[in-house]
Amino acid sequence: MSSGETAPVLSTEHSEVFRNSRREAIVIFSAWVVALLWAVPYCYFNGYGQAVDPETFSTTLGIPSWLFGGILLPWVVADVFTTWFSFAYMKDDDLGIAGDEHRSQPATGAEGGGA
Amino acid sequence: MNLFTHPALAVADSNNAVLYTFLVYMVGVFVIAWLSNRLLKSRSFLSEYFLGSRGLGVWAFALTLAATSSSGGSFMGFPSKIYTHGWSLGLWIGSYMVVPICVMGILGKRINEVARTANAITIPDVLRDRFRSVAFGLIAVSLIVFFMTFNLIAQFKGGSEILRTLLAPIDAFASAADALPGWLTGLSSLGGEYVLCLVVFGVAVIVYTTYGGFHAVVWTDVMQGIVMVIGVIIMLPLAIGQASHAVSNGQGGGLEAVTRNMARMVPPRKGTATLSATTPGAAVEIPSGSWAFVKEGDTERLFKIKSRHLIATGQSEISDVEIWEIVTPSDIERVRDRLASGSERSDVSDVVTLQIKELKDYAYGAKPEEGGSYVVGPGPHRTSTDGFLPLSLAISFFFMWAISGTGQPSNMVRLMAFKDTVTLRRSIFTVAMYYSAIYFPLVIIFCCARVLIPGMESEPDRIMPQMAVELTANIGMGWMAGLLIAAPFAAVMSTVDSFLLMISSALVRDIYQRNLNPDASEKRLKYLSYAITMVAGLGALCGALNPPEFLQDIIVYTGSGLAACFLAAVVYSLFWPRSNAQGCIAAMLSGFGAHLAMYVIGFLKGDGFSPYRFQGMDPIIVGLFTSFIVGYVVTVMTSPPPEDLVRKYFHKKS
Repeated sequence: MSSGETAPVLSTEHSEVFRNSRREAIVIFSAWVVALLWAVPYCYFNGYGQAVDPETFSTTLGIPSWLFGGILLPWVVADVFTTWFSFAYMKDDDLGIAGDEHRSQPATGAEGGGA
Repeated sequence: MNLFTHPALAVADSNNAVLYTFLVYMVGVFVIAWLSNRLLKSRSFLSEYFLGSRGLGVWAFALTLAATSSSGGSFMGFPSKIYTHGWSLGLWIGSYMVVPICVMGILGKRINEVARTANAITIPDVLRDRFRSVAFGLIAVSLIVFFMTFNLIAQFKGGSEILRTLLAPIDAFASAADALPGWLTGLSSLGGEYVLCLVVFGVAVIVYTTYGGFHAVVWTDVMQGIVMVIGVIIMLPLAIGQASHAVSNGQGGGLEAVTRNMARMVPPRKGTATLSATTPGAAVEIPSGSWAFVKEGDTERLFKIKSRHLIATGQSEISDVEIWEIVTPSDIERVRDRLASGSERSDVSDVVTLQIKELKDYAYGAKPEEGGSYVVGPGPHRTSTDGFLPLSLAISFFFMWAISGTGQPSNMVRLMAFKDTVTLRRSIFTVAMYYSAIYFPLVIIFCCARVLIPGMESEPDRIMPQMAVELTANIGMGWMAGLLIAAPFAAVMSTVDSFLLMISSALVRDIYQRNLNPDASEKRLKYLSYAITMVAGLGALCGALNPPEFLQDIIVYTGSGLAACFLAAVVYSLFWPRSNAQGCIAAMLSGFGAHLAMYVIGFLKGDGFSPYRFQGMDPIIVGLFTSFIVGYVVTVMTSPPPEDLVRKYFHKKS
C-alpha cells in the first residue's frame, strides 16, 4: 500500500469509470468479432483455391478484389468506427491521482502534444 | 550530368548515406537520453524512471505504443514475408484494422485507473495490490523475467543482424570489423562483423535506456515512430511508379499492371549444384547473389548462386552450392535488363559451369492448377502443401495481433502512463491512422518489390534495404536511402529499450523494493535502477554473443506466451468484481502451461521448436481459451474476494 494514499469513503455503487470502461470494452470486443467474421470468410470464399487467369483476374484499384473487399474496405470502415468511438462514444472519466503524483512536479508539457 | 544518375554511383552514395544517417540518429538518441535524465532530478524517481510520472500526452503515448509494438519484424520480417508469399499477407496482417482500438481501448482506461488507485508502477505491482497477494506479484514477476530475458537476447541478435545488413556494403565497416582484437571476435561464433554490430547496438541501447529511463525510451520511440512512417510514405509512390513502369515497358498501368504481372509468376526452384571453372584450373571468385544462364537447346535457364564462393587455382569444382532457379519468363527478362544496366550483381555465366544436383519446386504454388498463387490465398510455400496461410492460420492471426497484443505486459505498462482519458481517446485515433499509413502500404510496396527485384527469395531478409536503395537510386536520390533504411533499425531499438526497462523495473520495484527493502531510500533505488538496467542489458548482450538455436521461434513463443499468461488474469482483475487471487493465478499458470504444452508436444513429435497446432490453430488460441476457462472455474469454486478490496477497486469514491 502506498504511504501517500488517502482513505476515501466508498459507496456500494459501481464507479462510473468501471461501468464506462466495461461497456466500452464490450463494444470494442464486438467490433473485433465483426471484423473477424467479415474479413476471414470474405477472403476465404472469394480469394482462396480459385484458378487464376491473369487477363481476367478481378482487381479493384490494382489490388486483388478479394483483398480489397475483405481487408481494405473494412479497414476504412474500422478507421471510421475508431474515429467515432474515440471522439463521440468513449466517455471522459476521472482516473484519480496516484500517491506518487502528489510528490511529483506538475508536468512541463514536454511530454508531447497532450491535451 | 547528374552525379547520381549512374546506378553504381548512386548505390555508393546510398551506402555512405546509411552511415551518416546512422551517426546522426545515434547523436539524436543520446541528446534525448540527456534531456530525459534532467527530468529525473525533479520528480519521484521510480515513478519517473519506470512510468514517466503518468504524464504522457497524445503524441508521446500514441507513438511509444505504436513503435514498441512494431519490432524489427515489422520492417524486416514482414517485408520478407510479403516478398516471398505475395498478396496473402494482406489477410495475414488484416486484424491490424482493429489492433489500436483493441490494444488501447479494451484495458486502457481501467488499468490506468486501477494503477493510480494502487499507486502501482509495474504490472506485477497492479496484480499484487489488486488482490493484496504477494505470491501473485512474485509469480507475475517471474513470468515477465523468464519471457523477457529470452526475448531480449533474441532482439539483441535481431538488432545486430539488421545493423550488419545495413552496414555490410560500407568499406569502412568491413575494415573496422577486421580490426577488432582476436579475443573479442573469438567470443562469438558468428564472426567479427556480427560482434561489432552487437557491441555498437547493445552499448547504445543500454546507455541511453539506463541514463534516461522511461522518458528516454518514450521520446526515442516518438522519433523512431516518425522515421518509420516517413519511410513508408516516401516508398509507396516510388514503388508503385517504378514497378508499373518496369512491367509495362514504360506504358504505366499502375498497381493493376503489377498485380497482373504477379498473377503470372511461378515460385522459383531451390536446389544445389556443383560449380566448376569454365577454364580448367583457373581461379574464379563468385560473389554472393551472382547470376548464371545455362543454355539448354533453344532455351536458357537462369540460376542465382546464393553465397560467395571461391574456386582456387587448380581446384576442379565446388559441390553442394545453394542455387535458386528463376522460372517466370518476365522475371528472367527483368534480370537481363538489370544486368545490362549495372543495377544487378555479377553475371558469372561465362566463367562458371553449373552441374545441377537437385532442384525442388515449392510444395504449394508451382503446379499449374495452383497458378497465380502470389495473388490469391493461401499463397505459395516452399515446404507446406497447405500453402502459406490456410484458413486455420488466418483465423489464428486475427487472434494473434489484436488479442495477443492486448495481453502484452509491455503494452499494458504504457497504458498505465497516459495522462487522462482525453489523451487515451486521441491516442487511439492517432495510432489507428498511424497503422493504416504503415501496414497495408507495406504490403503494396513489397508486392511491387517482387516485380522490381526478382530472385530475392534466396535472401528475403535483405529486401527492405535493397528496395530502399533501388527506389532512391532509380530517381537519382541515393542519399535518401539512409532515411528509409533507418526505419527497421529504429523499430528494433524501440522494442529492445522497452523490454530492457521492463526487466529492470521487475527486479528493482517488484523484487527489491516491494519484498526485500521497502524502506530503501530514493538515492539507493536510483543507483540500483541504473545498475540493474545496465547489468540486465549487458547480460542480454553477452547471451546474444552466442545466441541459442531457434531464435526466431523463441521470439514467437515469448510473444504469444506472455499474452497466454497475462490477458485473462488482467481482464478478470479489472472487469470482474467476483475475481479473486486464486482464480487469476490459476488463469495465469494454466495459460502458461497450455501454451507450453503445445510446444512440448511438437518437440516430442520430432518437430523441433515448432509447436503442435491443435486443429491447425496457433498455440496462443489454446493458451487463451484454457486461461479464461480455468480462471473462471477456479474463481467460482473458491471464496469471494474481501469486500473492502472490491469496494476499493470497483465502487464509487465519495
